[in-house]
Amino acid sequence: MSGKMSSASDNNAYNKDDNGSLDVNKTSASAQLHSGSFHVEQLEDRDRYMTLSIGPQHPGSGHMRIIIVVDGDIIVSADPDVGYVHRGEEKMSEYRTFLQNVPHIERPVIHDSSNILYSYCLAVEELIGLQVPERAMYLRVLLAEIDRIQYTLYWLAILGIFMGHSTMFMWATADRELFVDLADMASGNRITHAYIVPGGVRNDLPDGFADKAVKFLDYFERKRLPEYDKIFYDNPLFRQRSEGVGLLSKADAINLGVTGSVLRASGVNYDVRKDEPYDIYNQFDFEVPIAKTGDSFARSILPMYDIRQGINIIRQCLTKMPQSGQIRAKLQPNPRGPPGEAYSRVESGRGALGHYIVSDGTPKPYRHKMSVPSVRNLSAMPHLLKGAKLADLPVIYWSLNIWPVEIER
Amino acid sequence: MEEDAQPQKSFRNLIDPGAGFGAFVGKLGDALVKAIDRPLGYAVNWGRMFSLWPVHLETGCCSVELGATSSPRYDLERYGVLEAFGSLRQCDLIIVLGTVNRKMAPRLRLVYDQMPEPKYVIAMGACAITGGLYFDSYNVLPGVGNVLPADVYVPGCPPRPETLIQGIMLLQEKIKRDQLKYV
Repeated sequence: MSGKMSSASDNNAYNKDDNGSLDVNKTSASAQLHSGSFHVEQLEDRDRYMTLSIGPQHPGSGHMRIIIVVDGDIIVSADPDVGYVHRGEEKMSEYRTFLQNVPHIERPVIHDSSNILYSYCLAVEELIGLQVPERAMYLRVLLAEIDRIQYTLYWLAILGIFMGHSTMFMWATADRELFVDLADMASGNRITHAYIVPGGVRNDLPDGFADKAVKFLDYFERKRLPEYDKIFYDNPLFRQRSEGVGLLSKADAINLGVTGSVLRASGVNYDVRKDEPYDIYNQFDFEVPIAKTGDSFARSILPMYDIRQGINIIRQCLTKMPQSGQIRAKLQPNPRGPPGEAYSRVESGRGALGHYIVSDGTPKPYRHKMSVPSVRNLSAMPHLLKGAKLADLPVIYWSLNIWPVEIER
Repeated sequence: MEEDAQPQKSFRNLIDPGAGFGAFVGKLGDALVKAIDRPLGYAVNWGRMFSLWPVHLETGCCSVELGATSSPRYDLERYGVLEAFGSLRQCDLIIVLGTVNRKMAPRLRLVYDQMPEPKYVIAMGACAITGGLYFDSYNVLPGVGNVLPADVYVPGCPPRPETLIQGIMLLQEKIKRDQLKYV
């Protein structure tokens, strides 16, 4: 396995939390027993229960279906039914070369495309043995952070509209266009950039990018972000619907394997950018925001602090970046490496995102596995929905920071 | 069912000689139908083309660009397209948002069959047109054409919001020129 994995075990996030020790026995029973469907027809009092299908044609379901059994107002069991967008990306990787794989790998999360591609490119570079130029590393971080911000704003817009807060949808999607514009300027496409490629980045920045970026960031950070707090996060209606709803304890969060902002909202200090820094992330000065309550409100507000850190990183990136230089390593026409395997992990907008690639020495991967954060966060959903009210479903579901297309790949 | 079997319904078919409209059969009747049919059709189509309500069914990743098109910058609502979060029985437009795979296709058809007439279909993105990037995937249909009759194809992967708006304007043009359907 790669060197990145060994550094992970040395610097294990779970060892450095505040309490020092981790009591696995505190896990609630439902966290262990949540898997498997709830068979109503085998029960004596089955007339009490009603089975509902939320999705796939439902405003609050996204691209998936949640089969829910309710007893009156209370959810007895929730069973996510995915596969409506399954496209077989992992199999498709096996009959495309490493470079041909770039466009379809970013499709599962088209609004966070740089991060999912970043991880793939790190794995391919490790496999082939490429050295990325320094300016390219900075450009990668730049696009990855822009994408993290615009992904989070889109997620916030969806959260807002499903909480019945149309203003949040309108504001977040409008401000997202600023960052989409920046990415469009750098790469040439709004959301599917294919900007990060094995060996570096595809093209250099145009003139005037830094000025425009600084202008946008100033406007967004000083004028818009405080307004979000005023209208959404300090809104008593939103706070009443989210505070104390969908509690995920620290032990449950670890045992269920959630990641990203969901894990940090439960009090675990884990961010791949800090704990196993890839490329040049160790040269940036930023913090990892943590909440300890583990409720839906904490999960909803933590990504906004991630946005602030992302803005911070973009600012540092623009000043520290070498002003000129190579942006892509030289590649053979059909790059190939020795037989072997590689795993790489980045912190995406939703959490740790990894790619595992096995090569048999040909220009195509022998096996390609995507380890995506949405699946991990989804695994907490049946546990959280059990015993919750039906009206709490939207806030629990969308605060888990899931993008359903990514679940199915 | 017998009524459905008639090829093209028109105002003309409503005039039944046995139902008291006998005076309008013949040349005078034709003239009257012509006089009413076109202005009435224009008015009804004018109403339909500016109140397109799409079903909220996300089949693929183009839904991100639909969200961006509904955002204040592109503002799809000024064309009368309002994402209806209500029942699909009040919708008259289905935007196929990208990939249609084997599990989604029967559901897509079921949703389409439940929608009231008249209904229109926009195939958005390369995946909905031919399968696009996933032409050789084992689980993706080669386009939505075998499942639904598409009125407008919007190319792109994903299409930019301007392209989607152009597709909607093309659909409105089509509705405007459409013959009035009595259903």
